[in-house]
Amino acid sequence: MIRFEHVSKRYPGGINALTDINFELVQGEMAFLTGHSGAGKSTLLRLILMLEQATRGQVLVEGRNLSRLSMRTAPRIRQRIGMIFQDHKLLRDKTVFDNVALPLMIAGLRYADIRKRVRAALDKVGLLQRERAWPLALSGGEQQRVGIARAIVGMPPVLLADEPTGNLDPELSASLFQLFRELNSLGVTVLIASHDLALIRRMGQRVLVLSGGSLIDDIPALEGGGAA
Amino acid sequence: MKRPGIRLRFRAWLRRQLYSFFSSLGTLLSHRVGTLMTVVVLGIAMALPLGLYVALTNLNAVDLKQDSWGTITVFLQSGTSAADARELTARIDARQDANATAISPEAGMEDFRDASGFGPALDMLSPNPLPWVIEVRPQPDRTDRLTLVVEDLTGWLQSQEAIDSVVVDTKWLQRLAGLLAVGNALVTVLAALFSVAVLVVVANTIRLDVANRADEIEVLSLVGAGNGFIRLPFLYSGFWYGLLGALGALLLLRVCLAFIDGPLSGLLDAYGNRFELSGVGFVPSLAVLATGGLLGLGGAWIAVARYLRALRRDGLLGRI
Repeated sequence: MIRFEHVSKRYPGGINALTDINFELVQGEMAFLTGHSGAGKSTLLRLILMLEQATRGQVLVEGRNLSRLSMRTAPRIRQRIGMIFQDHKLLRDKTVFDNVALPLMIAGLRYADIRKRVRAALDKVGLLQRERAWPLALSGGEQQRVGIARAIVGMPPVLLADEPTGNLDPELSASLFQLFRELNSLGVTVLIASHDLALIRRMGQRVLVLSGGSLIDDIPALEGGGAA
Repeated sequence: MKRPGIRLRFRAWLRRQLYSFFSSLGTLLSHRVGTLMTVVVLGIAMALPLGLYVALTNLNAVDLKQDSWGTITVFLQSGTSAADARELTARIDARQDANATAISPEAGMEDFRDASGFGPALDMLSPNPLPWVIEVRPQPDRTDRLTLVVEDLTGWLQSQEAIDSVVVDTKWLQRLAGLLAVGNALVTVLAALFSVAVLVVVANTIRLDVANRADEIEVLSLVGAGNGFIRLPFLYSGFWYGLLGALGALLLLRVCLAFIDGPLSGLLDAYGNRFELSGVGFVPSLAVLATGGLLGLGGAWIAVARYLRALRRDGLLGRI
């Protein structure tokens, strides 16, 4: 589903963000991406979203070599990827419903279908009764869940998350990770960048460890997926 | 990742238009004060050339109705018989480009007595010194051909027998025609200048709008919106600005005309004229609205294209 082959990313100015990264996530797999800040986690996610292009090597998403695609196809790649951001990236002047509906409006779905799917997504994250609320009226955890609803509403085959539990308390973080696991069990490929090592260990999933732009460890999932 | 069929894609495109259409309306309504200010500026900018245009159309209309302005006065030689005078009048009247009325010396004297107030003094002129006079009113097929027709008629009249002199104030007519031509040119120049102003005002408004919503653009881009979808609400906003500005201009003009109408009628009444002040007609109004909308759309297009390019270049699109 996601494959990195000898991927290096060098920013202008000579900073090597990533060096010779190799890994593959098969369809329906779930993995954590960890490492100190500045280790290259965000750059790796940016490459998958076509926000950056690899300097060397190849990034493949659903078998498509991203470095061979023109930037014009980036929107179509992004429509196939649900992305969850640390700072939620919600539109403040739109209601929760409208925020979640964005990917579907971009896809040009019928309004009736949009309604149905947005409500289903909000129900999944437990925010159905807040659909008319404004993002700023929500708590941090609720905003994060709106972001998740927006990421999953288009039923993308791939889900990426960048520090989704950034500012959340441990209890909320655990319930979020639980939600990711549920989605994963429905067949979604999930990759979560996080530095919450304690939580990651408890999840018992595959862990990719980045350090200084190199992949220094690839810990396989525990048998049975570990305890929640 | 197969692409769906053309019909499905067209429907999706149509729905995106619809969503952007309503989204742009919502944005305008949620920033009422800012929208209103922009629309007022646009309205005034469009009202100026439009006002001059209306003034000129009215002047043209005055010219048409006031046919006595182009009247040629033909004085016949004294001693011309009534029969000869009437025969000549009939001949002039037979021409397509003129109407003619004969005024006998007696009728002329009556008029003069009434108008001058010299009644008793005139009675002392026992033989009536006035000649037969024919009033010739040119009937041009188009207003702007008036001077040509007058010249043509004058030449023809001077070649007729029994005519003493032909009096026509062509200079005055030429000046009027010249003034109208200058006015028309001025409308064109003003319309062009203010179109540019509208374009710039809308472009600047949309530019600020895009800058204010850079975050929104970024989010849209991150969740998979293409350039087209990002651009759409701004284009619609520009269109609304232009359309509302044009509507404002038409309303402004209507108010101004209502304000001027009373005093102007009074003034024209004093000159013994009845005159209906006309505004912008239905079809020209539609043209003004369409032009406004298109100018707004154009301005928005310029602003969005430039700004999106800059955002992309500076890597501000899609930060995470």
